[in-house]
Amino acid sequence: MFEGCPGASMQDFREGIKETRQENGKRQSQLKQWPIQLHLISPLAPYYDEADVLLSADCVAYALGDFHKDYLKGKSIAIGCPKLDDDKEVYVDKIKSWIEDAKINTLTVMIMQVPCCGGLLHLAEQAVKASKRKIPIKAIVVDIQGGILSEEWV
Amino acid sequence: MEKYLEKSIKEVIKEFPKVSQILDEYNIGCAPCSIGSCMLKDIIAIHSLPIMREIEMMRKIEKVIYPKREVKMPLVNELTQGTSLFQEKKYSPPLKKLVAEHTLIKRYLELISKIIEDINAASRIDKDLILKGIDFIKSYADKFHHAKEERILFKYFDENLDIIKTMLKDHETARGYVKDLFEGLEKEDKIIIIENLNNYNLLLKEHIKKEDEILYLWMDRNLSAHQVGRLFAEFSDADKNIGEVETKKYEEFIFSLEERFLKKD
Ligand SMILES: [Fe+2]
Ligand SMILES: [Fe+2]
Repeated sequence: MFEGCPGASMQDFREGIKETRQENGKRQSQLKQWPIQLHLISPLAPYYDEADVLLSADCVAYALGDFHKDYLKGKSIAIGCPKLDDDKEVYVDKIKSWIEDAKINTLTVMIMQVPCCGGLLHLAEQAVKASKRKIPIKAIVVDIQGGILSEEWV
Repeated sequence: MEKYLEKSIKEVIKEFPKVSQILDEYNIGCAPCSIGSCMLKDIIAIHSLPIMREIEMMRKIEKVIYPKREVKMPLVNELTQGTSLFQEKKYSPPLKKLVAEHTLIKRYLELISKIIEDINAASRIDKDLILKGIDFIKSYADKFHHAKEERILFKYFDENLDIIKTMLKDHETARGYVKDLFEGLEKEDKIIIIENLNNYNLLLKEHIKKEDEILYLWMDRNLSAHQVGRLFAEFSDADKNIGEVETKKYEEFIFSLEERFLKKD
C-alpha cells in the first residue's frame, strides 16, 4: 500500500512527552553569526575561516532538545532543506568554497531520519568530491523525536 | 571488587591467574602485555565490549576473585545472540589513513615467513631482498608511519598513559630488531637475520592489532570533531613530505614480493 512521503506522514507524540525535571535558568544561545540560511550566507564570511562548520537540515534544531549545547557550540553554521529549497547547485558551490577558500577544518552534516533529508548529505559529498582539498565529514542522523540515530565519519 | 578495579592488570593476574584466561576469552589481549601496568578498570573501559558482554565478563572475573560470593551468571547464549564480539569498526578519516598504512605493513609481515624459507634454502644470502625489506621498514613503517603516530597523533593525548607508553616502547623494540637485523646481514649470519625478522614480525603483528582494535577506537571516542579535523590536516602535510612517488614505490615493492613469493603456489 502506498503510504505517501514518509517525510510528511503525520505522527503524534503528545502522549509520549513525559514531565521531566523542571529546568531553571536561561541558557545562552551558541549562535555566533548571522545570516544562517545557506542561500543567504557568504562562504567567505570570516566566521567560516578554518572553522568547524555545521550544515544542518532546517528541522534538526526543532527536533533536538539540546541542539545549542551539544551540536552548535563551537561551530559556524548554515541551514537548508534539501527537499524544498531551490537552486541546490548553488549549495554545492558554496560548500565547495567553504572547503577550498575558507579552508574549513571539518564539516558536520546533520539531517533528519526521513529519506529525503539524505539529499543534504549528498550535496555535501558532491562538493567534497569536486574539491581539491579534502576534509573530514561527519554525518549525524536525528530521529523525529529528537534522538540521535547515528553519528559517524563518512 | 572496586579495589581490584584500581589495581594493575599484572597484580590482578598474579593474584588470580584465571583472570588471564577470562580476558583471553573476550579477546582482550592484555595478559601477555610486557608492561601490564594498566588498571583493570581502564582495560575494561578502553576495550568497549558490547555492554552485555562486559557484564558477563565482569561477573566471571568477580567469581574468580570472590569464589564464595553468590554471583548470578547470565546465560551466555542468551547474551551473545546478535552481538558480535567486535562491533563494526568505523574510524575517523585520519585514523583510517593509519589503518590503511597498517594494511601495507601487514602485507610485508605476511611475506616474512616466505623470505625466511628463501634464506634457509639458498646457499648465498639474497642481500638485496633483505636490504629492500629493511628500507621499507625503516622508511615506510618507521620514519613515515610511526613518526606520524609519535610526532602527531600521540601528542593529542596524555603521553604518560600506559597504553601510549606501551606503543612507544614497541616502536623502540622494533628499531632494535631492525638494527640487529642489519648487523646480522653485514656479518652474513643467517641465524641472526632469521631471528630478528621473526621477532619483528611477531612484535609488529601484535602492535598493529592493539592499535587497530583498541587504541585507535579509544582515541576516536575521545577526539573532538575539531581535533579530528586538525589531525587530518597534519597528516596530510606529513603525507606530502614523503610524497606520492615514494608511497607508490613501497606499494610496488610489496606487490612485487607478493608476485614472487605468493603467486607460485
Ligand atoms: Fe604504532
Ligand atoms: Fe601503527
